[in-house]
This record gives sequence, structure tokens and C-alpha cells, in this order.
Amino acid sequence: MNFLAATIESLGAKVTGWFAVGYAMFAFLARATLLLLDRTTWNRATLDVVVKQVYFTSVQILHVFLGYALVISWLIITIILSTARDFGLTEFASEMTIRVLVLELLPFLTALFIALRSGSAINTEIALMQVNNELDALAHCKVPPMQFEFLPRLLGGVISVVTLAGLAGLLALLTGYLAIYGMNTAGVEPYTQTIAKIFDFQIVAGLIAKCALFGLAVTLIPVTAGLETPKKLFMVPVSVLRGMMRVFFAIVAIEVVSLALKYI
Amino acid sequence: MAAVAALPDDVARVALELPLRANLSALDNIALIPLYQRHFNAAESARQAQLLLEQLGHPDIARLRDPDMTPAQRFVAKLARALILKRPRLVIDRPGAMLYDVPYPAFIRQLASQATMTGTWEIFDFSWNQSLYQA
Repeated sequence: MNFLAATIESLGAKVTGWFAVGYAMFAFLARATLLLLDRTTWNRATLDVVVKQVYFTSVQILHVFLGYALVISWLIITIILSTARDFGLTEFASEMTIRVLVLELLPFLTALFIALRSGSAINTEIALMQVNNELDALAHCKVPPMQFEFLPRLLGGVISVVTLAGLAGLLALLTGYLAIYGMNTAGVEPYTQTIAKIFDFQIVAGLIAKCALFGLAVTLIPVTAGLETPKKLFMVPVSVLRGMMRVFFAIVAIEVVSLALKYI
Repeated sequence: MAAVAALPDDVARVALELPLRANLSALDNIALIPLYQRHFNAAESARQAQLLLEQLGHPDIARLRDPDMTPAQRFVAKLARALILKRPRLVIDRPGAMLYDVPYPAFIRQLASQATMTGTWEIFDFSWNQSLYQA
């Protein structure tokens, strides 16, 4: 009986904890959105920090990221093309390449890339700021942490994932063309027709929304996980671990929902 | 010490538990205040911060980040940040906890004696350190 009570109690505590985390995240997002709509937020200082964040999150890693996107795209395109040839489905190869790479795989990998590189750094930094009282010091100086620290990170994440996924998509389209048609212009018309057929308004809007949600997930979750950290230094790794697990589940959930909406 | 933490909003505090932003230089930590509170541009905010450091006799710490500063340099950066807040009162909370590398009553006295430093600085310290201030 005691075991049953303890199990129910532990389960209840876990469910309550999940709801508390979810509520804190959405409350934070609501505050950030309200601040985003406030004209006074958009001063030179905040814009400068947003630009810096975009630089650190995407521009600084652009060459590495594009190299990685090129290798992945080339491999996947080669696999799709050889499989399509084996089954006599060559005419579908370009459409399949675009759907698999540009719409699904590259945005997902971009989100993972940014999560591992910037999300973990954001989580650690905010957790350390929380533990070291730096946020209290900013509050004492009446420098709003939301405007100075958090909002630029959220915006930087969203802008970075959308633009990097877009660039990787363009690179994949170009690689796909070269792999299918080679170095000549004979395939431009059928290829652009395939692109136009796939990228209708709904698909493009869905792709941008998905990338924006990925960008939000890889920054919002680490920020809130960092803010939850108790003021004990040894809790920082635990905070990062929890934050990154949540980011992973959120990215997978966004991808699954997006696939379900598109294909089911 | 709870009394110090509960001081009203119009008091600028220099305290161990109000650290500098670790990934910003001393200059950027100070320049944040005019940048966010008075909406000066970045260049003007940095100029004001640099001027304050020069007045305190430590212009050389401008580019240093928190971990690269000595306790005394860190104290000067925190003091400059508190001064640029331009609040009517300035409270230095337990200076001994921050200034363990210099004879601190003399060091604070020297900083306070800078010609352009105005207003009242209050020091909250343990009673057993009283004799240090009488020397």
C-alpha cells in the first residue's frame, strides 16, 4: 500500500513539475511577446544586442555550417538518386530530394546544430548568471534583463535558424540540380517547375513557421531552464542537462507535428 | 546585513553579491547604465564610463573582464557602476569582503578624495572592523 502511495505521489509530483515548467515557459514567452510589441523596447541598445546575437549564432559559424549542409545534402541526394535509378523512378528523384532535404531534414539538422552550439551555451550562461547573482545586479541597476539578455537571444535564435535553414535549402537545391542534370542548363525548366509545384504558399509558410518554432525552442527552453537553476554552482550542469533534453524533445515534437500536418 | 539588502531603490549599492556581468568588460558594465536608462548611444555611454574610470584613477581597467581584474580593480568597476547610477545615496556594503588585497579604508578614502567625486558614501561594515577606520 505504501509502495502504491509513494508511486502515485512521485508520479503526481512529476506531472505537477511538468506543468509548472510548461507554465513558466509559456508565461515567459507571453512576457517576451508583449515586450516585443512595446515600442520602447526597440531602442538602439536592444537592436545592437540582437545584431550581436545573430552574428554569434549564425554568421560566425556560416562557413562550417554550409560545409556540413553541403556534405549532408550531397550524400542524401546521391542515395536518393541511386535508389530512384534502381527502382526506375528517376523522374521523381528531384521532387523527393527537395521534399526530404529542403522541407524536412535540413531545417531539423539546423535546429540541432544551433541547439548544440548556442542553446547549450545560452543555458549555461543564464544558469551561471542566476547562480552568481548577476541578474540581481542588473535588476539593482535597473537594466532590464529581458531586454538586455533574453529577448535578443530569442530573436537571434529565430532569425538564425530561419536564415541558416533557408541558406542550407538553397544550397541543397543547387546541389540537387548539379547531381541530377550536371553542369548544363538543360534541366532548368523541369527543375524550376518541380520547385514551383512543391513550394506553394502553404508549404513555404509552414516551412518558415516550423523554422521559427525551432529557433524559439533552441533559445526559449535554455533561457527558462537557466532561470530555474537554484543558486548552487553544482546545479549548473543539471540545469544544462535538463534544458538540452527539453530542447531535444521540443525539436522532435515540432518535426513530428509538422510531418503529421503535412502528410496525414 | 539584511538591512542593507532591504535598502530602498534610490540607494546605489556596491556589494559582493552584486557582481559585474562576467562576459562584459569593466567599461561595458558601466556603460550599460547610460545606454539603457538614459538612452544614450553606445559611443556616448562608453565615453561617460571611460571618463568615470579616469576620474577614479583607473582608466587602465576599462577593457578587463571580471575574472581578469584584481579585487581592488573589480571594486573600482563596481563603484563606477554605482556612481553612474546617480542615485542620492551610495552604500558600500562590507568592503572587506571585496577589498582583501589592499588596506581598504585608505583605498576607499583615496577614491572618495578625487576632486570630481561628490555626494555621500556610506560604508556598512562589521563593528569589529571599526578600528580600521579610526587609523
